[in-house]
Amino acid sequence: MKALSRMFGRSRKFLNFGVTFVSVLLCLLILPTRMPGMELLGISPNWLLIWLVAWSIKRKRTVWGAASMGVVLGFLQDAMTAPNPSHAVSLVIVGVLTVVLLKSWSIPADIVERDPIPIALIVFGMAVVAETVMGLQFLAMGDRALVEIWSDHQRVALCSAILSSLWAPVIYFPLNHLWEMTRSLEKS
Amino acid sequence: MLKNTIRRWWDLRLPIALLGLAVTAAWGVRQTQGAPLFEVYNWVSRPFQANGSGQEQLISARTQELQARLLESEAQNEKLKELLGYVSAKKPQGIVAPIVGRSADHWWQQITLGRGSNDGIKTDFTVMGPGGLVGRVVSVTPNTSLVLLISDPTSQLGVGITRSRNMGFMRGKGGNQAVMEFFDNVPNVKPGDVVSTSSFSQLFPAGLPVGKIVSVDMNKTPAPEAIVEFSAPMNSLEWAVIYPHSKEVEQKASAGESSASAGGEKQ
Repeated sequence: MKALSRMFGRSRKFLNFGVTFVSVLLCLLILPTRMPGMELLGISPNWLLIWLVAWSIKRKRTVWGAASMGVVLGFLQDAMTAPNPSHAVSLVIVGVLTVVLLKSWSIPADIVERDPIPIALIVFGMAVVAETVMGLQFLAMGDRALVEIWSDHQRVALCSAILSSLWAPVIYFPLNHLWEMTRSLEKS
Repeated sequence: MLKNTIRRWWDLRLPIALLGLAVTAAWGVRQTQGAPLFEVYNWVSRPFQANGSGQEQLISARTQELQARLLESEAQNEKLKELLGYVSAKKPQGIVAPIVGRSADHWWQQITLGRGSNDGIKTDFTVMGPGGLVGRVVSVTPNTSLVLLISDPTSQLGVGITRSRNMGFMRGKGGNQAVMEFFDNVPNVKPGDVVSTSSFSQLFPAGLPVGKIVSVDMNKTPAPEAIVEFSAPMNSLEWAVIYPHSKEVEQKASAGESSASAGGEKQ
């Protein structure tokens, strides 16, 4: 650890930022892929949503922080698909909801950090929320019929929720570990 | 005695002659396999048979069937020629590209191709897969291009039934299917009919194979609908061929056609 901290020197202050940046980039790059085992009816896990939940679930996150992170990730996903309707809306709602939920229920962070079940459950719920918001946006735009949106929503929300919750620990635990490590490095 | 016998026979001459005639006639009928009987049967039953106009109706129906078959074969022939001509004309210009990614979210049906503007790809180019039309390039980077699939609900295109030339437009339904809405109230369509892009389509060139009709709903309002299954396997595509196409050229061509037809009408 000491060697590592000496090696990074000044730049270790940016270590946490670097971990965040690289992990978001990885999540973005994995979005268009459909690997075997990560796909259900042509739908893959919502990696950005998992990342956002993992980020928002940490201690000392504010509602405003989660919302702005949601905007950033949403715009990035917009860039990779189509700008209308924006993914930012759903991700902002997910980020804010996660922070508010943790605060209002006051779930102890160490339970989340030890056990994969709470994170999976939270991601499941948030995925359903996110896809519902997307569906509502499509409805508001009016270029898709309600019946089509409804049938799409059932398929998309369920598959996305199941897959995202199954893969959530894979993102959350390494990321959390890295963040903890870099924070301790920054403090030292 | 003898005289009596002869006289008796002589008295019976008429019945015997009649009997002989009957036997001969019956033998004759037997030899000709009842031809006269059938002739008589026909003559007797003629008033009860279907009248002449009915015969004509049947004959004309038969003629119509043959004409329809001829038209169908002709249409197919034309289509095949068109396809053959299309392949030989377009193949050298096509750019083969691997599919490197799928849609980055769940509501859009998109694919990412591994070739971009460095290979001469521009937006609105047509993307074909093995089996038929796949989609349209919506954005290009130097080495990738984003394709909106025809299975996406937002991509609408003008299509027609190859067999009957009934036109309509098609809206993606996700997965491997699309909904086709007809312009006619009573379209001539049945499951199994081949669907191809029509000249109404401005985003795509006409005559590209799209898919097959799997079911028809004639009672749908405001227009009859049919479910189209794409002939290209959208979910298992691994590569695609991109052909140049631009909206402007198509619009100019259609404008030229309409002005030409207007001129023709004046004459």
